[in-house]
Amino acid sequence: MATYAEMREIFDDITKDFRYEHELNGCLNCGICTATCPSAHFYDYSPREIVQLLWTENVEQVYDAMQEKIWACAQCMTCAARCPFKNSPGGLVAIMREVAIGHGLQSAKDVLRPFGRVMLKLITTGNQLSPDMIQPDHFPDWGPNIQKVEGDLKTLRKAIPMKTLQTTDTAWEVALKTSVEMYTIWEMTGVLKQLETMDENLFDVIEDFIDEKREEYEEMLEEQEEAE
Amino acid sequence: MNGIAGHGEFFQPTNLSAADAEKATEWVKKRVDRRELDLGERMDDVREHMWELEKEGEILVHRITDAHKPAMVKTLFGWDKKIPTLQLWHHKSCGQCGNIPGYPTSLLWTMNQLGMQPGRDYLDETDQTSCTAWNYHGSGIGNVESLAAVFLRNFHQAYVSGKRMGHQPGHFYPLVHCGTSFGNYKEVRKYLIENATLRERVKKILGKLGRLVDGRIVIPEEIVHYSEWVHVMRKRIASELQKIDVSHLRATVHMACHYSKMVHEDAIYDPEVLGGNRAAVGTSMAAALGAQVIDYSTWYDCCGFGFRHIISEREFTRSFTIERKIKVANEEAHADLMLGIDTGCVTTMDKNQWIGRAHEKEKQYTMPIMADIQFAALACGADPFKIVQLQWHASPCEEVVEKMGLSWGESKKRFEAYLEEVKAGKIEYLYNPELALSA
Repeated sequence: MATYAEMREIFDDITKDFRYEHELNGCLNCGICTATCPSAHFYDYSPREIVQLLWTENVEQVYDAMQEKIWACAQCMTCAARCPFKNSPGGLVAIMREVAIGHGLQSAKDVLRPFGRVMLKLITTGNQLSPDMIQPDHFPDWGPNIQKVEGDLKTLRKAIPMKTLQTTDTAWEVALKTSVEMYTIWEMTGVLKQLETMDENLFDVIEDFIDEKREEYEEMLEEQEEAE
Repeated sequence: MNGIAGHGEFFQPTNLSAADAEKATEWVKKRVDRRELDLGERMDDVREHMWELEKEGEILVHRITDAHKPAMVKTLFGWDKKIPTLQLWHHKSCGQCGNIPGYPTSLLWTMNQLGMQPGRDYLDETDQTSCTAWNYHGSGIGNVESLAAVFLRNFHQAYVSGKRMGHQPGHFYPLVHCGTSFGNYKEVRKYLIENATLRERVKKILGKLGRLVDGRIVIPEEIVHYSEWVHVMRKRIASELQKIDVSHLRATVHMACHYSKMVHEDAIYDPEVLGGNRAAVGTSMAAALGAQVIDYSTWYDCCGFGFRHIISEREFTRSFTIERKIKVANEEAHADLMLGIDTGCVTTMDKNQWIGRAHEKEKQYTMPIMADIQFAALACGADPFKIVQLQWHASPCEEVVEKMGLSWGESKKRFEAYLEEVKAGKIEYLYNPELALSA
């Protein structure tokens, strides 16, 4: 259990985010946000409660909500579109999630463990999803009719009449230069650090991958220079 | 004195006929438009500040010029929005390209049919990343600075992309395929315009990447979703290209949350479409084709995608989509199909139907799911497999194809024969593939 000082630090980090002023303007407790929230149908989650806890500066309860409740939000932003005060409970949840990660909360690590594969794909390729991640074996709950034509994935992808889409391990072909630019963004904005806090092993794999791709890019540039 | 209106014991019914009641309240309806009373007057149009920043030399605005042949539309509060119709840079969606490839192929096919020339009137290239917002909304990894840097990198590339074809900077204008990218980019643009510290921080990153123009970041005049292009082109698509009558089909539309609820003041509303009471895109295309657009009580609901949920908490996703979308479209709307305008929604509703058997063994609720542009391409004679790529859909899209008078079986046989040609290297393209290889 965190001390009050630790919880206060977490609370202050939420309110320090410049978006906080945009997303929280007051609250009448009208509950429109919760009435329209898809997650409130299925989880012990209420956007109204999140707003109230922040608005009343309930440091302990905010910390408590960050353990599980904030991860129920579907980020559809219906609450934001409906709120008469122009609050964005979904936007506040996004800030709270970032802070939960920044502080390395164990609950965040637990929630995000199944997300590792997507993270690996995103950070290394700039795509979040690829055809080889959506094979019938991975999604038995999608049923037997998941693909209406038999055939190997490579051939089926080649039959898509856009050159950029004829890939299996990325959603579209991303130029090497583009990926390398992306790695610089990850580094300079602290995203790799966030990842290291959440999952050290995944971070190590990604770091090695980035190093390899950068070397590959340098070699490509050298070859181009020599050719000129 | 006893009142003639109000609550409690004073209340008396007016006993007006329906026509007289309508007449009595007509003036109120005329004067009180909920949207006028809503937030419009209290809300800043961020685009006005964008022009001020450009004057001060802080940013460069990527303009929509006459060369882009723009069409004007109205958004939620009656503000104008410019939609370019030519010289478009396709900003692809990772979910569409990875999972529903018939989405972008139908769009490019339609553009070709309208006489647009690849390399001049549109460009699809490899120098782009996803917006990374699916991950951000799902996991919380990432931050406003990384989202802003990705936005500015991709849109700078759009600005300069025509150079290798001999075009001037700004020739191609970004057309965003994904609803979440669209919502995220609009949100990030707003933060960039309002927050000088954020601008300074990302400027350093963009400088390092060589992605500044005369020391300035490039911000687009408008952020444009593909469905907005479809919306403004719908009458041309229907009048010039449509070959198949769809007037017997009952179509429901699912509006993507990140289209109409994120920076919601920027979504298109049109008095010709559902009385202007709901966002127009998607619905407007179905109506222009002559399909019967059927309203339903959960129209405003999200699909249940949830970003994180569709990957690691699918019980929520499938329960919500079956209960609030598929079942309602079946029982209430008696629809033949459901159209989407976004990546996550089409995936969610398309893939999560079979599992409904776990709850309701007696009756499985099914519904063909596809994007507005896939439906339009089918109605305009596109091949259901080669172009519309319905083979990747799990929902029973074959039912719609058959109802349109096309033979699913024959089309499938033709496609299977084409796969043999593909194996032999004879691949058909929508554009010269060399155009795609940008770097």
